[in-house]
Amino acid sequence: MQQVANGVFLGSIYALFAMGYTLVFGVLDLLNLAHSAVFMLGAFIGLQLVVAAGWPLWAAVLGAIAAGGLLGVLIDRVAFAPLRRRADAHFAGLISSIALAIILGAVALGVFGPNSRRFPQGTFPGGRVEFAGASLSVLQLVILVLSVALMLGLDWLVRSSRLGRAMRAVAENPRAARLLGVDVERVTLITFALSSALGAAAGTMFALAFNLIRIEMGLAIELKGLAVIIVGGMGSLPGAMLGGLVLGLAEVFSIARIGSGWRDAVAFGLLFAILLLRPQGLLGRKAVREV
Amino acid sequence: MGFLRTYNAVIVLIAINGVLAYSMYAVLIAGQLSLAQAAFASIAAYTSALLTIEAGLPFPVVVVIGVSAGAVTALVLGLPILRLRGVFLAIATLGFGEMVRIVALNLEVTGGAQGLRPIPKVVTIWQAYLALALCAWFFWRLRPTRLGLGLAALRADEVAARAMGVDTVRYKLFAFTVSGAMAGLSGVLFSHFTRFIAPGQFGFERAVDALLYAVVGGTAHWVGPFLGAGFLTFLPELQRQLGIEAGWLRPFLNGLILLGVILFVPAGLSGLGRRLGLARRPRPAASAAPARAATPTPTPGSVESVTEAVTQPTDPGVDRRPDTLVRLVGVEKDYGGVRALAEVGLDIRAGEILGLIGPNGAGKTTLVNAITGLTPVTGGSVEVLGTPIRGLPANRVNALGVGRTFQQVKLFDDLTVRENAIVGGHRVTRPTFLRRLVFLPAAARDDRDNAARADRVLARVGLLDRADAPASSLAYGDRRRLEIARALCGQPRLLVLDEPAAGMNHVEAQRLGALVGAIAAEGVTVLLIEHNVRLVMSVCTRVVVLDFGRVIADGDPDEVARHPEVLRAYLGQAAT
Repeated sequence: MQQVANGVFLGSIYALFAMGYTLVFGVLDLLNLAHSAVFMLGAFIGLQLVVAAGWPLWAAVLGAIAAGGLLGVLIDRVAFAPLRRRADAHFAGLISSIALAIILGAVALGVFGPNSRRFPQGTFPGGRVEFAGASLSVLQLVILVLSVALMLGLDWLVRSSRLGRAMRAVAENPRAARLLGVDVERVTLITFALSSALGAAAGTMFALAFNLIRIEMGLAIELKGLAVIIVGGMGSLPGAMLGGLVLGLAEVFSIARIGSGWRDAVAFGLLFAILLLRPQGLLGRKAVREV
Repeated sequence: MGFLRTYNAVIVLIAINGVLAYSMYAVLIAGQLSLAQAAFASIAAYTSALLTIEAGLPFPVVVVIGVSAGAVTALVLGLPILRLRGVFLAIATLGFGEMVRIVALNLEVTGGAQGLRPIPKVVTIWQAYLALALCAWFFWRLRPTRLGLGLAALRADEVAARAMGVDTVRYKLFAFTVSGAMAGLSGVLFSHFTRFIAPGQFGFERAVDALLYAVVGGTAHWVGPFLGAGFLTFLPELQRQLGIEAGWLRPFLNGLILLGVILFVPAGLSGLGRRLGLARRPRPAASAAPARAATPTPTPGSVESVTEAVTQPTDPGVDRRPDTLVRLVGVEKDYGGVRALAEVGLDIRAGEILGLIGPNGAGKTTLVNAITGLTPVTGGSVEVLGTPIRGLPANRVNALGVGRTFQQVKLFDDLTVRENAIVGGHRVTRPTFLRRLVFLPAAARDDRDNAARADRVLARVGLLDRADAPASSLAYGDRRRLEIARALCGQPRLLVLDEPAAGMNHVEAQRLGALVGAIAAEGVTVLLIEHNVRLVMSVCTRVVVLDFGRVIADGDPDEVARHPEVLRAYLGQAAT
């Protein structure tokens, strides 16, 4: 039972991170490989706001999320917007977002240095909660609730709001959406901002949960996020939630079985198995794009 | 020689990185992105190092095994994934790279995080450059061949390439396997030069290095990867000399260079070179076309007997000249709730010019895609030239003898006009790459013949004077005509034209009508989808009208023009 609780907790962070990938992919049909850099920067910014600026934790988390949104705008403007009219925009976008990820990583290395960091003691309250034979810390519980709330909020936004309708229109057919009066540029920008805000949120939560902040944390989460969206189905928000859950549980249980050295191999195993058996993912639809 | 000795390490590393760059180049020219190059190199490096240390095998044997290990790994990884969209390859290879690193960290034979040492240093400067030259030679020979042009077409437009008969899945698999082999080669060289390997050397950064070399060098010319690897391997050396070496500076510069190149100079260094006239693109038989006039050319005017296709050995020998080329029975197509085609029954008979008209959204293009194998139908059966095409990919349908154009022009934009036409002839030409690799003159002759044939078709549509221009430079009407020429180069038995007159003025449309008539006169069956009703009525021998996915009229043009259902569909209820 404790394993299940740990798995769900871990999975909720993975899912939150992966939502950002899947939102951009689902709406804009682009894979943003700089998303992992946002995750890492989100964690560092959250830390700096607590340590250097002395903000209370809740404000620092909000600040990191806002900074993530700005990073999303930056990613769109720098790595994707210049390619908009190019025939190879998809392909070039993969490369330009990798390039931007490297730049952001290098900047973080320059500013924060190569050493791993921790939140100072007493940043967050201790205490544990027992529930049905499982035990989670108060912090973990807060993170879990917050992640789920953010995910459900995003899902509601896309499903029900006016903005969400515009997003779905762009996803269906950008040209038709433009003709119908949707400001496609604005929707694109907002999609990137939302996606990166979630990425930064996931980064700060991950940092809080494990109290460890390193430059390499982006790379480590990248593969997991990609595995989650493949497992759940590219572009499907509920799929990302389900995928995160699956990966979180699979990791926790396999660590118990085969040792922690192989922990990161679980993501690839899942990813490859899904590509072999059900490439559209658990909740994904088969691509219906036509000529 | 003093220079060689002082900078020996850098000079050899340029070659080793160059080989890795070529391995990335192999996938980039097919329009794919792989992030597993470092992983392939790592597998080959460990395998070869262990064989050298533990089994004491001679170096050439170790090289062969290492290269094979890279190739086989790529093949096995690529088999399930290359069927899917390109983005899946990027994701799967990224994951694979991480996976290999984890395995190398956790196994005992690889020495875990400590790595493997000492590996005998056997690679000399000459061996490294021999390997580099082999890779360069491979791509130098590749470009003008049928395979090379097919890959370029696949990169430019995968759907169109498939419709021209290029087996895109196999081509991608080829490119990926070659890339695995070359990455393996670089891994073997690396391990037997640096004497020490550890998992950290083959991580994500190394995969990005490969990408960086290949992208900065550019895919426009086969010399690109060497340029890119040379420049970027030398750069840190230069930084060291200048004393600017902060830990973050190198990745920062790398990222900046990669971003700058992909955004502003997508053709890379080699593309810049071409712009400055330093490197000329190998032009397949640009000047050779007239020289080959001795080959049996059909009567002038008709330029090329298109019916020649029937005697081509590539044709399936089922039924030499069936009366019915295409038979649709009860064909249905649903797009999640929208019924695009409903119980369509239709025969296309040999020798006719069948016009297909209907209001917007009537399902015309869906029908075309069903016939050409681009869209699988949800119900009913489609038979093309006696072969049921259920589940058949578009390139196989093309091989049966079906050529097509697209409603929204899909040319291979970064290829020349002539190269576009040559790719169109994919169906009726023979592979030439392996023969060109060893300089067999017959293969170069084949390629020249193909170019000459393409030129004759281009002359026919009036585009010969633009043959060496990039297809992207053509005006709209010329683009439409090039698409028709490209389809004709495949000597199809059925030519499907999807709204060829769209955007043309009256005179152009008339000329198009004459061209269609001339093509049909040579025995090619034509399916013409058009909005220009006047054009359809004047050239077609039979007209079918589609409305809301149903056939509402079928007969000769006059009959159809008077059909009450047709009038209603086009003019509204009041017209009845």
